[in-house]
Amino acid sequence: MSPEPLASGRLPGRRKRLLLILLQAAIGLLVLGVVALLLTNLQLNLLRRGLELSFDWLGEPARFPLPRGLLPYRTEDSYAWAFVVGLVNSLQVVVAGLVLATILGVIGGAANFSSNWLLRQLAGLYVAVARNVPPLLHLLFWYFVVFLGVPAARNGVNAVAEWLNLPVSVEFVALLIGLTVYTGAYISEVVRGGINSVPRGQWEAARSLGFGEGRTLRLIILPQALRAILPGLNSQYINLAKNSTLAIAVGYSDLFSIVNTTFNQTGRSIEAFALLVLAFLAVDLLISGVMNVLNRLVLRHG
Amino acid sequence: MGESPRSGSGSRQLLLRIRRGLFASPLDTVITVVLAVLCGGGLWSFFHWVVLQADWAVVVENVRLYLHGRFPVEQVGRSWSWLGLLGALFLVTLMPARMLPRPVLRLLPLLWILILPIGLLLLAGGLGLEPVKSRFWGGLQLSLLLTLGTVLMALPLGILLALARRSSLPLLRWLTTGYIELTRGMPLIAVLFFGQLMIPLFLPEGWTFNRVLRAVLSLGFFVGAYMAEDVRGGLQAIPRTQLEAARSLGLSPLLTIALVELPQALRTALPSLANQCVASLQSTSLLAYLGLIELLGISRSILGNPDYLGRHLEVYIWLALLYWAVCILMTSLARRLERGLNVTGHH
Repeated sequence: MSPEPLASGRLPGRRKRLLLILLQAAIGLLVLGVVALLLTNLQLNLLRRGLELSFDWLGEPARFPLPRGLLPYRTEDSYAWAFVVGLVNSLQVVVAGLVLATILGVIGGAANFSSNWLLRQLAGLYVAVARNVPPLLHLLFWYFVVFLGVPAARNGVNAVAEWLNLPVSVEFVALLIGLTVYTGAYISEVVRGGINSVPRGQWEAARSLGFGEGRTLRLIILPQALRAILPGLNSQYINLAKNSTLAIAVGYSDLFSIVNTTFNQTGRSIEAFALLVLAFLAVDLLISGVMNVLNRLVLRHG
Repeated sequence: MGESPRSGSGSRQLLLRIRRGLFASPLDTVITVVLAVLCGGGLWSFFHWVVLQADWAVVVENVRLYLHGRFPVEQVGRSWSWLGLLGALFLVTLMPARMLPRPVLRLLPLLWILILPIGLLLLAGGLGLEPVKSRFWGGLQLSLLLTLGTVLMALPLGILLALARRSSLPLLRWLTTGYIELTRGMPLIAVLFFGQLMIPLFLPEGWTFNRVLRAVLSLGFFVGAYMAEDVRGGLQAIPRTQLEAARSLGLSPLLTIALVELPQALRTALPSLANQCVASLQSTSLLAYLGLIELLGISRSILGNPDYLGRHLEVYIWLALLYWAVCILMTSLARRLERGLNVTGHH
């Protein structure tokens, strides 16, 4: 990615270079000045409230209860441990969501190319409806209407959780399904675009070799579509990770909801927020890193 | 695959097409039957619910709340007028260009910008209108105001950021790249949380501004980073020859950006920019969890009323319809704009 030089070369070289340096110095000073001003205000405001920046409070007991999760947690545990529990809860829903949304998205995207008219129409309807409704509404629907409204659904989840001895709550399942359905619609558009990028001749060649529709898709089309699909998947995965913070609407204790509780309890907004941002940057980097490795593998072998 | 839309005459052709489209193979037949049974069952139980079990009182009795929130009843005409003006502007913009007189066509962009201050005046009061505090704004009216404010802030910001990210000044490039990537890495609710609870910490004591403005600022800064990437994509798609042509015509760098690069880049980026506008509308619903009573917020408080215990599905269907309708309006507006730009772009 080489940036286009926008300033055209009409000034003589040296004068132009000096001008550019001066301009940048001015920009740098301006940004520094604004940042310094904001930070001074922050410091004054925090002093006034008696909450100087520090991370010592992380060691204090958190005292708020959390539902049973993958990690053990008691109310005497520290804030730091509560954050770790929240992060693991977030990761749990993100990883499960990635897998399920990918499966749903591939099915939805491939259904657009089926010879079955009904299947094609349903795939189109799914994308049109799911994408035009806010993700928050998806979650609220699954939580309040399905899992709190239909006792059988709630009991089913609890029975399965007990049977598998997993800490799976109704809130977790509602969040997971909501995220999956919403993200799956976007992924199915990505997959549809990827399949579209494979030349039509490939379908015809496969058919003339006697391949059925399903085998053509699985063995011939999808492997070739993968290189067009992966970059789009990357941003959808990151979106899913970010949307997992909507957990707060269904009362699932993800990282953001723990940051929120911590803020309400301690007033430590800056520190808690900084930890949240760091955690999310790490998660984003992790997803992008894994996807880049996958992408390189596909480009090499595809 | 490969269904040719030849308009064959006779019912035989139709039967053939149905057979090819639904029952081509045994597996296909199974899929069709299973899907048809599922769809039929779903539709049947849905209609059963709509007719026999649903109680739409929760929607019908509260239409005023959904549209205007807790806007004072005696002033609600002002909220209606703003919604009406906005709707009229939508309709006029969606009309085919040849049906509109040229001056109106030219004024349209200006009207889209002016509709925001007009809305603020109508809702907040002033100039002879009785003042209404922003905490009484709400419902669809507030959702639309937030969306409009966000888009009108994010678009210029996005353009500036995209240009800065491609500038020849390394410092400017680094700063904007850092800002864009950092913002795009953060969850929106965290940004809104920051905007609602933490912006006051960074201001001198005594400086406050209302939460609607804080919400628009945080949403605008967030969406701006995404729009910047869309505009940058548009800028990258411009052939180099265009820039060389502009230079050889003697256009200054600023004029090249304004007259050659931006118009083309924006036209390319239009579909993704439209998606960002739709996303902005959907994002405003998050503010329900940060103390604003926009469409979702007011619905939550209606659902909290014991009279409407357990009427979630009715409310959510109604909300989904409202959001869906506005989303569709916005996308068709974008498509209309795209066509308009293509017409003017080719002569």
